[in-house]
Amino acid sequence: MISLITSLSDILIESVIGILVVFIALSLLVLAFISIGKIFKFLVRRNFRIKTKSKSDYSELTVYDAAAVSLALHMYLSELHDEESGVLTIKRIERRYSPWSSKIYAVNALK
Amino acid sequence: MKSFISKKIFILLAISLLTFHMLAQTNPIEVKTVTLENSLIRFWNNTGFANLEWSYFLMIIIGIVFIYLGIKKKWEPLLLVPIGFGILIGNIPFMEGYQIGIYENGSVMNTLYSGVIKGWYPPLIFLGIGAMTDFSALISNPKLILLGAAAQLGIFLTFIGAYLLGFTPDQSGAIGIIGGADGPTAIFLSSKLAPELMGAIAIAAYSYMALVPLIQPPIMKLLTNKKERLIRMRPPRSVSKKEKVIFSIVGLLLTTFISPSALPLLGFLFFGNLLKESGVTERLADTARYALINTITILLGLTVGASTQADVFLTIDSLKIFALGAFSFGIATAGGVLFAKFMNLFLSDRNKVNPLIGSAGVSAVPDSARVSQEMGLREDKNNHLLMHAMGPNVAGVIGSAVAAGILLSMLKS
Repeated sequence: MISLITSLSDILIESVIGILVVFIALSLLVLAFISIGKIFKFLVRRNFRIKTKSKSDYSELTVYDAAAVSLALHMYLSELHDEESGVLTIKRIERRYSPWSSKIYAVNALK
Repeated sequence: MKSFISKKIFILLAISLLTFHMLAQTNPIEVKTVTLENSLIRFWNNTGFANLEWSYFLMIIIGIVFIYLGIKKKWEPLLLVPIGFGILIGNIPFMEGYQIGIYENGSVMNTLYSGVIKGWYPPLIFLGIGAMTDFSALISNPKLILLGAAAQLGIFLTFIGAYLLGFTPDQSGAIGIIGGADGPTAIFLSSKLAPELMGAIAIAAYSYMALVPLIQPPIMKLLTNKKERLIRMRPPRSVSKKEKVIFSIVGLLLTTFISPSALPLLGFLFFGNLLKESGVTERLADTARYALINTITILLGLTVGASTQADVFLTIDSLKIFALGAFSFGIATAGGVLFAKFMNLFLSDRNKVNPLIGSAGVSAVPDSARVSQEMGLREDKNNHLLMHAMGPNVAGVIGSAVAAGILLSMLKS
Protein backbone atom coordinates (compact mmCIF):
# COMPACT_ATOMS: atom_id res chain seq x y z
CA MET A 1 0.00 0.00 0.00
CA ILE A 2 1.23 3.50 -0.81
CA SER A 3 0.48 6.71 1.03
CA LEU A 4 -1.67 9.19 -0.90
CA ILE A 5 -0.49 12.10 1.21
CA THR A 6 2.19 14.06 -0.60
CA SER A 7 1.85 17.70 0.39
CA LEU A 8 1.23 19.96 3.39
CA SER A 9 -2.32 20.68 2.28
CA ASP A 10 -3.02 16.92 2.24
CA ILE A 11 -1.63 16.67 5.76
CA LEU A 12 -3.81 19.57 6.94
CA ILE A 13 -6.96 18.10 5.37
CA GLU A 14 -6.27 14.64 6.78
CA SER A 15 -5.56 16.08 10.23
CA VAL A 16 -8.87 17.94 10.31
CA ILE A 17 -10.68 14.81 9.12
CA GLY A 18 -8.78 12.73 11.65
CA ILE A 19 -9.74 14.81 14.69
CA LEU A 20 -13.34 15.03 13.44
CA VAL A 21 -13.55 11.24 13.11
CA VAL A 22 -12.17 10.81 16.64
CA PHE A 23 -14.87 13.22 17.87
CA ILE A 24 -17.59 11.46 15.89
CA ALA A 25 -16.58 8.00 17.15
CA LEU A 26 -16.48 9.09 20.77
CA SER A 27 -19.63 11.24 20.42
CA LEU A 28 -21.47 8.13 19.24
CA LEU A 29 -20.25 6.41 22.36
CA VAL A 30 -21.54 9.36 24.43
CA LEU A 31 -24.95 9.20 22.75
CA ALA A 32 -25.11 5.44 23.11
CA PHE A 33 -24.36 5.58 26.80
CA ILE A 34 -26.64 8.49 27.57
CA SER A 35 -29.46 6.46 25.96
CA ILE A 36 -28.44 3.21 27.62
CA GLY A 37 -28.28 5.03 30.99
CA LYS A 38 -31.81 6.38 30.43
CA ILE A 39 -33.12 2.96 29.41
CA PHE A 40 -31.60 1.41 32.51
CA LYS A 41 -33.07 4.10 34.78
CA PHE A 42 -36.48 3.49 33.21
CA LEU A 43 -36.16 -0.28 33.59
CA VAL A 44 -35.07 -0.01 37.22
CA ARG A 45 -38.03 2.26 38.04
CA ARG A 46 -40.47 -0.02 36.20
CA ASN A 47 -39.15 -3.11 37.96
CA PHE A 48 -39.44 -1.35 41.31
CA ARG A 49 -43.04 -0.37 40.56
CA ILE A 50 -43.94 -3.90 39.48
CA LYS A 51 -42.32 -5.42 42.57
CA THR A 52 -44.03 -3.06 45.03
CA LYS A 53 -47.36 -3.40 43.23
CA SER A 54 -47.26 -7.15 43.41
CA LYS A 55 -46.83 -7.04 47.18
CA SER A 56 -49.72 -4.64 47.96
CA ASP A 57 -51.94 -2.41 45.90
CA TYR A 58 -51.53 1.10 47.28
CA SER A 59 -54.21 2.55 45.01
CA GLU A 60 -56.89 1.20 47.36
CA LEU A 61 -55.40 2.99 50.39
CA THR A 62 -57.67 5.76 51.72
CA VAL A 63 -56.44 8.90 53.46
CA TYR A 64 -57.72 7.51 56.78
CA ASP A 65 -55.70 4.36 56.33
CA ALA A 66 -52.63 6.42 55.50
CA ALA A 67 -53.18 8.59 58.60
CA ALA A 68 -53.54 5.51 60.79
CA VAL A 69 -50.39 3.94 59.39
CA SER A 70 -48.47 7.20 59.86
CA LEU A 71 -49.65 7.55 63.47
CA ALA A 72 -48.77 3.96 64.25
CA LEU A 73 -45.34 4.42 62.74
CA HIS A 74 -44.84 7.70 64.61
CA MET A 75 -45.80 6.15 67.93
CA TYR A 76 -43.68 3.13 67.31
CA LEU A 77 -40.63 5.20 66.35
CA SER A 78 -40.99 7.83 69.10
CA GLU A 79 -41.36 5.23 71.83
CA LEU A 80 -38.33 3.34 70.80
CA HIS A 81 -35.44 3.56 73.21
CA ASP A 82 -32.14 1.88 73.63
CA GLU A 83 -32.29 -1.81 74.18
CA GLU A 84 -31.37 -2.74 77.73
CA SER A 85 -29.27 -5.73 78.58
CA GLY A 86 -31.83 -6.90 81.12
CA VAL A 87 -29.19 -7.92 83.65
CA LEU A 88 -29.41 -6.32 87.08
CA THR A 89 -26.33 -6.02 89.25
CA ILE A 90 -25.72 -4.59 92.70
CA LYS A 91 -22.37 -3.05 92.86
CA ARG A 92 -20.89 -2.71 96.33
CA ILE A 93 -19.00 0.50 96.68
CA GLU A 94 -17.02 1.61 99.68
CA ARG A 95 -18.46 4.77 101.20
CA ARG A 96 -15.87 7.45 101.52
CA TYR A 97 -15.72 9.69 104.51
CA SER A 98 -17.14 13.15 104.01
CA PRO A 99 -17.76 15.80 106.70
CA TRP A 100 -20.98 16.80 104.92
CA SER A 101 -22.66 13.59 105.82
CA SER A 102 -20.97 13.16 109.19
CA LYS A 103 -23.36 12.34 112.03
CA ILE A 104 -21.20 14.09 114.61
CA TYR A 105 -21.36 17.41 112.86
CA ALA A 106 -25.06 17.08 112.40
CA VAL A 107 -25.62 16.42 116.11
CA ASN A 108 -23.41 19.41 117.05
CA ALA A 109 -25.38 21.62 114.78
CA LEU A 110 -28.59 20.77 116.60
CA LYS A 111 -27.22 21.84 119.98
CA MET B 1 46.82 0.95 52.95
CA LYS B 2 43.78 -0.74 51.41
CA SER B 3 42.99 2.23 49.22
CA PHE B 4 46.63 2.38 48.09
CA ILE B 5 46.45 -1.28 46.97
CA SER B 6 43.14 -0.77 45.18
CA LYS B 7 44.59 2.29 43.42
CA LYS B 8 47.54 0.20 42.28
CA ILE B 9 45.27 -2.55 40.98
CA PHE B 10 43.19 0.02 39.12
CA ILE B 11 46.28 1.57 37.50
CA LEU B 12 47.60 -1.87 36.51
CA LEU B 13 44.24 -2.78 34.99
CA ALA B 14 44.09 0.46 33.04
CA ILE B 15 47.66 0.00 31.74
CA SER B 16 46.97 -3.59 30.64
CA LEU B 17 43.75 -2.54 28.89
CA LEU B 18 45.60 0.24 27.07
CA THR B 19 48.38 -2.15 26.06
CA PHE B 20 45.84 -4.61 24.71
CA HIS B 21 44.13 -1.86 22.80
CA MET B 22 47.38 -0.61 21.27
CA LEU B 23 48.44 -4.15 20.36
CA ALA B 24 45.09 -4.78 18.72
CA GLN B 25 45.39 -1.55 16.78
CA THR B 26 48.85 -2.43 15.47
CA ASN B 27 48.03 -6.09 14.71
CA PRO B 28 44.86 -6.58 12.68
CA ILE B 29 42.72 -9.63 13.52
CA GLU B 30 43.60 -11.45 10.29
CA VAL B 31 46.25 -13.54 12.05
CA LYS B 32 46.03 -17.21 11.19
CA THR B 33 48.67 -18.68 13.53
CA VAL B 34 47.70 -19.40 17.12
CA THR B 35 50.09 -17.73 19.48
CA LEU B 36 49.53 -16.34 22.94
CA GLU B 37 49.76 -12.81 21.61
CA ASN B 38 47.27 -13.42 18.78
CA SER B 39 44.79 -15.17 21.05
CA LEU B 40 44.91 -12.30 23.48
CA ILE B 41 44.43 -9.80 20.67
CA ARG B 42 41.48 -11.79 19.30
CA PHE B 43 39.97 -11.94 22.78
CA TRP B 44 40.53 -8.21 23.23
CA ASN B 45 38.86 -7.40 19.94
CA ASN B 46 35.77 -9.27 21.08
CA THR B 47 35.44 -7.35 24.33
CA GLY B 48 33.19 -4.36 24.85
CA PHE B 49 36.20 -2.21 25.75
CA ALA B 50 37.72 -2.59 22.29
CA ASN B 51 34.47 -1.66 20.57
CA LEU B 52 33.47 1.13 22.93
CA GLU B 53 32.61 4.48 21.40
CA TRP B 54 31.45 7.64 23.14
CA SER B 55 27.92 7.20 21.79
CA TYR B 56 27.51 3.80 23.50
CA PHE B 57 28.89 5.28 26.68
CA LEU B 58 26.35 8.12 26.49
CA MET B 59 23.49 5.66 25.99
CA ILE B 60 24.66 3.60 28.97
CA ILE B 61 24.53 6.75 31.09
CA ILE B 62 20.99 7.45 29.81
CA GLY B 63 20.02 3.88 30.76
CA ILE B 64 21.40 4.35 34.27
CA VAL B 65 19.48 7.64 34.58
CA PHE B 66 16.25 5.82 33.59
CA ILE B 67 16.88 3.14 36.22
CA TYR B 68 17.70 5.82 38.79
CA LEU B 69 14.47 7.74 38.03
CA GLY B 70 12.45 4.53 38.23
CA ILE B 71 13.92 3.31 41.52
CA LYS B 72 14.74 6.50 43.40
CA LYS B 73 12.06 8.88 42.13
CA LYS B 74 9.50 6.11 41.50
CA TRP B 75 8.56 7.67 38.12
CA GLU B 76 6.73 4.89 36.25
CA PRO B 77 9.12 2.23 37.63
CA LEU B 78 7.33 -0.59 35.79
CA LEU B 79 8.37 1.06 32.53
CA LEU B 80 11.54 2.96 33.27
CA VAL B 81 13.36 0.10 35.02
CA PRO B 82 12.92 -2.47 32.17
CA ILE B 83 13.54 0.19 29.51
CA GLY B 84 16.59 1.53 31.34
CA PHE B 85 18.04 -1.95 31.71
CA GLY B 86 17.18 -2.65 28.07
CA ILE B 87 19.19 0.43 27.11
CA LEU B 88 22.18 -1.04 28.97
CA ILE B 89 21.73 -4.40 27.20
CA GLY B 90 21.37 -2.75 23.81
CA ASN B 91 24.45 -0.59 24.20
CA ILE B 92 27.09 -3.06 25.28
CA PRO B 93 29.51 -2.82 22.34
CA PHE B 94 30.16 -6.14 20.59
CA MET B 95 31.61 -7.61 17.42
CA GLU B 96 28.88 -8.19 14.88
CA GLY B 97 28.28 -11.64 13.42
CA TYR B 98 27.72 -13.61 16.61
CA GLN B 99 23.93 -13.18 16.64
CA ILE B 100 23.96 -11.10 19.79
CA GLY B 101 22.48 -7.73 18.84
CA ILE B 102 18.82 -6.89 18.66
CA TYR B 103 19.14 -6.01 14.96
CA GLU B 104 20.91 -9.29 14.06
CA ASN B 105 18.52 -11.83 12.57
CA GLY B 106 18.04 -14.91 14.71
CA SER B 107 19.50 -13.52 17.92
CA VAL B 108 17.60 -13.99 21.17
CA MET B 109 16.93 -10.27 21.48
CA ASN B 110 15.86 -10.11 17.85
CA THR B 111 13.36 -12.95 18.38
CA LEU B 112 11.90 -11.21 21.43
CA TYR B 113 11.85 -7.93 19.50
CA SER B 114 9.53 -9.49 16.90
CA GLY B 115 6.62 -8.80 19.27
CA VAL B 116 7.40 -5.10 18.89
CA ILE B 117 8.21 -5.16 15.16
CA LYS B 118 5.16 -7.24 14.24
CA GLY B 119 3.06 -5.28 16.70
CA TRP B 120 1.62 -8.12 18.77
CA TYR B 121 2.87 -6.98 22.17
CA PRO B 122 0.66 -3.83 22.27
CA PRO B 123 -2.68 -5.66 21.81
CA LEU B 124 -1.73 -8.08 24.60
CA ILE B 125 -0.93 -5.12 26.84
CA PHE B 126 -4.35 -3.70 25.90
CA LEU B 127 -5.96 -7.00 26.90
CA GLY B 128 -4.46 -6.62 30.36
CA ILE B 129 -5.43 -2.94 30.55
CA GLY B 130 -9.01 -3.88 29.62
CA ALA B 131 -9.07 -6.54 32.36
CA MET B 132 -7.85 -3.95 34.89
CA THR B 133 -9.97 -0.97 33.91
CA ASP B 134 -13.25 -0.05 35.51
CA PHE B 135 -15.23 2.02 33.02
CA SER B 136 -17.87 3.00 35.63
CA ALA B 137 -16.71 6.62 35.84
CA LEU B 138 -17.09 6.95 32.10
CA ILE B 139 -20.44 5.16 31.87
CA SER B 140 -21.96 7.16 34.72
CA ASN B 141 -21.07 10.48 33.08
CA PRO B 142 -20.74 9.78 29.33
CA LYS B 143 -20.14 13.39 28.33
CA LEU B 144 -16.66 13.13 29.85
CA ILE B 145 -15.75 10.83 26.93
CA LEU B 146 -15.50 13.99 24.80
CA LEU B 147 -12.57 15.19 26.89
CA GLY B 148 -10.75 12.05 25.81
CA ALA B 149 -11.42 13.04 22.21
CA ALA B 150 -10.30 16.66 22.67
CA ALA B 151 -6.95 15.60 24.10
CA GLN B 152 -6.18 13.80 20.84
CA LEU B 153 -5.66 17.23 19.27
CA GLY B 154 -2.00 16.84 20.24
CA ILE B 155 -1.66 13.86 17.90
CA PHE B 156 -2.86 15.68 14.81
CA LEU B 157 -1.04 18.96 15.45
CA THR B 158 2.20 17.02 16.01
CA PHE B 159 1.49 15.12 12.80
CA ILE B 160 1.53 18.48 10.97
CA GLY B 161 4.56 19.69 12.98
CA ALA B 162 6.59 16.58 12.17
CA TYR B 163 5.86 16.94 8.46
CA LEU B 164 7.00 20.57 8.60
CA LEU B 165 10.26 19.44 10.26
CA GLY B 166 11.03 17.26 7.27
CA PHE B 167 9.72 13.82 8.20
CA THR B 168 7.80 11.77 5.65
CA PRO B 169 4.00 11.55 6.08
CA ASP B 170 4.30 7.99 7.48
CA GLN B 171 6.99 9.01 9.94
CA SER B 172 4.98 12.11 10.89
CA GLY B 173 1.95 9.97 11.70
CA ALA B 174 4.07 7.66 13.88
CA ILE B 175 5.60 10.65 15.69
CA GLY B 176 2.21 12.34 16.14
CA ILE B 177 0.86 9.41 18.13
CA ILE B 178 3.26 10.28 20.98
CA GLY B 179 0.60 12.89 21.85
CA GLY B 180 -1.76 10.04 22.68
CA ALA B 181 0.43 9.42 25.74
CA ASP B 182 -0.08 5.72 25.29
CA GLY B 183 3.06 3.61 24.96
CA PRO B 184 1.52 0.46 23.43
CA THR B 185 -0.43 2.53 20.88
CA ALA B 186 2.71 4.45 19.95
CA ILE B 187 4.64 1.20 19.47
CA PHE B 188 1.79 -0.37 17.50
CA LEU B 189 1.52 2.54 15.07
CA SER B 190 5.24 3.12 14.65
CA SER B 191 5.76 -0.60 13.94
CA LYS B 192 3.34 -0.22 11.04
CA LEU B 193 4.31 3.24 9.76
CA ALA B 194 7.94 3.89 10.67
CA PRO B 195 9.77 0.91 12.23
CA GLU B 196 13.07 2.74 11.80
CA LEU B 197 11.95 5.37 14.32
CA MET B 198 10.30 3.03 16.78
CA GLY B 199 13.03 3.13 19.42
CA ALA B 200 13.03 6.91 19.60
CA ILE B 201 9.22 7.15 19.50
CA ALA B 202 8.73 4.53 22.23
CA ILE B 203 11.39 6.07 24.47
CA ALA B 204 9.93 9.55 23.96
CA ALA B 205 6.38 8.34 24.66
CA TYR B 206 7.33 6.45 27.82
CA SER B 207 9.66 9.18 29.07
CA TYR B 208 7.00 11.86 28.74
CA MET B 209 4.44 9.55 30.35
CA ALA B 210 6.77 9.27 33.32
CA LEU B 211 7.10 13.06 33.32
CA VAL B 212 3.34 13.72 33.28
CA PRO B 213 3.40 15.03 36.90
CA LEU B 214 5.96 17.63 35.81
CA ILE B 215 4.62 18.55 32.36
CA GLN B 216 0.89 18.93 33.02
CA PRO B 217 0.46 21.08 36.18
CA PRO B 218 1.94 24.33 34.78
CA ILE B 219 -0.22 24.07 31.64
CA MET B 220 -3.33 23.30 33.70
CA LYS B 221 -2.69 26.25 35.99
CA LEU B 222 -2.00 28.59 33.10
CA LEU B 223 -5.26 27.79 31.33
CA THR B 224 -7.63 27.89 34.32
CA ASN B 225 -8.57 30.44 36.96
CA LYS B 226 -9.08 29.79 40.65
CA LYS B 227 -12.87 29.78 40.36
CA GLU B 228 -12.74 27.07 37.69
CA ARG B 229 -10.31 24.97 39.68
CA LEU B 230 -12.68 25.06 42.65
CA ILE B 231 -15.66 23.65 40.72
CA ARG B 232 -17.16 20.68 42.55
CA MET B 233 -18.64 18.00 40.38
CA ARG B 234 -21.70 15.89 41.19
CA PRO B 235 -20.78 12.45 42.53
CA PRO B 236 -21.02 9.77 39.81
CA ARG B 237 -24.04 7.47 39.92
CA SER B 238 -23.62 3.77 40.55
CA VAL B 239 -23.35 1.64 37.43
CA SER B 240 -24.87 -1.82 37.18
CA LYS B 241 -22.99 -4.91 36.02
CA LYS B 242 -25.29 -5.19 32.99
CA GLU B 243 -24.33 -1.68 31.84
CA LYS B 244 -20.65 -2.53 32.11
CA VAL B 245 -21.08 -5.71 30.05
CA ILE B 246 -23.07 -3.79 27.42
CA PHE B 247 -20.36 -1.11 27.36
CA SER B 248 -17.64 -3.54 26.36
CA ILE B 249 -19.75 -4.84 23.46
CA VAL B 250 -21.28 -1.55 22.27
CA GLY B 251 -17.95 0.24 22.76
CA LEU B 252 -16.19 -2.26 20.52
CA LEU B 253 -18.87 -2.18 17.82
CA LEU B 254 -19.21 1.60 17.67
CA THR B 255 -15.52 2.47 17.65
CA THR B 256 -14.22 -0.28 15.39
CA PHE B 257 -16.97 0.11 12.80
CA ILE B 258 -15.75 3.71 12.41
CA SER B 259 -12.05 2.92 12.65
CA PRO B 260 -11.43 -0.78 11.81
CA SER B 261 -7.68 -0.24 11.73
CA ALA B 262 -7.77 0.15 15.50
CA LEU B 263 -9.25 -3.35 15.82
CA PRO B 264 -6.13 -5.07 17.23
CA LEU B 265 -5.99 -2.53 20.05
CA LEU B 266 -9.66 -1.88 20.75
CA GLY B 267 -10.65 -5.51 20.17
CA PHE B 268 -8.28 -6.69 22.87
CA LEU B 269 -9.11 -3.76 25.19
CA PHE B 270 -12.85 -4.42 25.17
CA PHE B 271 -12.35 -8.19 25.26
CA GLY B 272 -10.22 -7.83 28.39
CA ASN B 273 -12.91 -5.63 29.89
CA LEU B 274 -15.62 -8.17 29.07
CA LEU B 275 -13.57 -10.87 30.81
CA LYS B 276 -13.49 -8.66 33.90
CA GLU B 277 -17.10 -7.50 33.89
CA SER B 278 -18.83 -10.71 32.85
CA GLY B 279 -18.09 -12.20 36.27
CA VAL B 280 -17.89 -15.73 34.86
CA THR B 281 -14.35 -15.61 33.46
CA GLU B 282 -12.52 -14.44 36.53
CA ARG B 283 -9.62 -16.83 35.94
CA LEU B 284 -9.00 -15.49 32.45
CA ALA B 285 -9.34 -11.89 33.61
CA ASP B 286 -6.90 -12.64 36.39
CA THR B 287 -4.31 -14.03 33.95
CA ALA B 288 -4.77 -11.05 31.62
CA ARG B 289 -4.41 -8.46 34.35
CA TYR B 290 -1.49 -10.02 36.18
CA ALA B 291 0.58 -12.78 34.56
CA LEU B 292 0.10 -11.84 30.91
CA ILE B 293 0.46 -8.06 31.15
CA ASN B 294 3.45 -8.41 33.47
CA THR B 295 5.21 -10.81 31.09
CA ILE B 296 4.57 -8.61 28.08
CA THR B 297 5.59 -5.46 29.97
CA ILE B 298 8.93 -7.07 30.83
CA LEU B 299 9.56 -8.18 27.23
CA LEU B 300 8.32 -4.92 25.72
CA GLY B 301 10.27 -2.69 28.08
CA LEU B 302 13.46 -4.65 27.74
CA THR B 303 13.37 -4.96 23.94
CA VAL B 304 12.29 -1.35 23.36
CA GLY B 305 15.16 -0.27 25.60
CA ALA B 306 17.58 -2.54 23.76
CA SER B 307 16.43 -1.17 20.42
CA THR B 308 18.08 2.14 21.29
CA GLN B 309 21.46 0.92 20.10
CA ALA B 310 23.60 4.06 19.93
CA ASP B 311 24.40 3.87 16.21
CA VAL B 312 20.69 3.68 15.38
CA PHE B 313 19.31 5.89 18.14
CA LEU B 314 21.68 8.84 18.51
CA THR B 315 20.65 10.88 15.52
CA ILE B 316 19.28 14.36 14.90
CA ASP B 317 15.93 12.75 14.09
CA SER B 318 15.73 11.36 17.63
CA LEU B 319 16.28 14.84 19.05
CA LYS B 320 13.53 16.20 16.79
CA ILE B 321 11.23 13.39 17.93
CA PHE B 322 11.87 14.25 21.57
CA ALA B 323 11.11 17.93 20.93
CA LEU B 324 7.93 17.03 19.03
CA GLY B 325 6.92 14.66 21.83
CA ALA B 326 7.11 17.45 24.41
CA PHE B 327 5.10 19.73 22.12
CA SER B 328 2.57 16.96 21.59
CA PHE B 329 2.04 16.34 25.31
CA GLY B 330 1.62 20.06 25.93
CA ILE B 331 -0.99 20.45 23.18
CA ALA B 332 -2.86 17.32 24.29
CA THR B 333 -3.07 18.62 27.87
CA ALA B 334 -4.16 22.06 26.73
CA GLY B 335 -6.74 20.52 24.35
CA GLY B 336 -8.42 18.60 27.16
CA VAL B 337 -8.46 21.54 29.59
CA LEU B 338 -9.75 24.03 27.03
CA PHE B 339 -12.46 21.66 25.83
CA ALA B 340 -13.67 21.19 29.41
CA LYS B 341 -13.99 24.99 29.66
CA PHE B 342 -15.83 25.03 26.34
CA MET B 343 -18.25 22.34 27.58
CA ASN B 344 -18.98 24.43 30.67
CA LEU B 345 -20.43 27.15 28.44
CA PHE B 346 -23.34 24.83 27.67
CA LEU B 347 -23.75 23.08 31.01
CA SER B 348 -25.94 24.10 33.93
CA ASP B 349 -24.28 25.08 37.22
CA ARG B 350 -25.16 21.68 38.72
CA ASN B 351 -23.47 19.79 35.90
CA LYS B 352 -20.35 21.91 35.41
CA VAL B 353 -17.09 20.11 34.76
CA ASN B 354 -13.90 21.00 36.63
CA PRO B 355 -11.46 21.83 33.78
CA LEU B 356 -8.64 20.20 35.73
CA ILE B 357 -9.97 16.79 34.70
CA GLY B 358 -9.62 17.73 31.01
CA SER B 359 -5.91 17.07 31.14
CA ALA B 360 -6.62 13.44 32.08
CA GLY B 361 -7.91 12.93 28.54
CA VAL B 362 -4.33 12.36 27.38
CA SER B 363 -4.53 8.71 28.45
CA ALA B 364 -1.37 7.92 30.54
CA VAL B 365 -3.55 5.88 32.90
CA PRO B 366 -3.69 6.57 35.83
CA ASP B 367 -0.96 9.20 36.20
CA SER B 368 -2.77 12.05 34.47
CA ALA B 369 -5.93 11.37 36.55
CA ARG B 370 -3.75 11.47 39.65
CA VAL B 371 -2.36 14.85 38.54
CA SER B 372 -5.94 16.20 38.25
CA GLN B 373 -6.69 14.91 41.76
CA GLU B 374 -3.59 16.51 43.25
CA MET B 375 -4.20 19.83 41.49
CA GLY B 376 -7.79 19.80 42.74
CA LEU B 377 -6.73 19.06 46.32
CA ARG B 378 -4.19 21.86 46.20
CA GLU B 379 -7.04 24.34 45.66
CA ASP B 380 -9.62 22.70 47.92
CA LYS B 381 -8.69 19.96 50.36
CA ASN B 382 -12.12 18.35 50.09
CA ASN B 383 -12.52 18.40 46.33
CA HIS B 384 -11.63 14.88 45.18
CA LEU B 385 -11.48 14.73 41.39
CA LEU B 386 -9.91 11.29 40.93
CA MET B 387 -13.12 9.40 40.13
CA HIS B 388 -14.24 12.10 37.70
CA ALA B 389 -10.80 12.25 36.05
CA MET B 390 -10.80 8.49 35.48
CA GLY B 391 -13.62 9.01 32.94
CA PRO B 392 -11.64 11.12 30.44
CA ASN B 393 -8.55 9.10 31.33
CA VAL B 394 -9.93 5.79 30.05
CA ALA B 395 -11.72 7.64 27.23
CA GLY B 396 -8.24 8.85 26.25
CA VAL B 397 -7.11 5.24 25.85
CA ILE B 398 -10.02 4.59 23.48
CA GLY B 399 -9.50 7.95 21.75
CA SER B 400 -5.80 7.42 21.11
CA ALA B 401 -6.45 3.92 19.75
CA VAL B 402 -9.13 5.32 17.42
CA ALA B 403 -6.72 8.09 16.33
CA ALA B 404 -4.01 5.46 15.67
CA GLY B 405 -6.47 3.52 13.53
CA ILE B 406 -7.40 6.64 11.59
CA LEU B 407 -3.75 7.55 10.95
CA LEU B 408 -3.05 3.99 9.84
CA SER B 409 -5.96 3.94 7.42
CA MET B 410 -5.12 7.43 6.09
CA LEU B 411 -1.45 6.74 5.54
CA LYS B 412 -1.59 3.15 4.35
CA SER B 413 -4.53 3.26 1.96
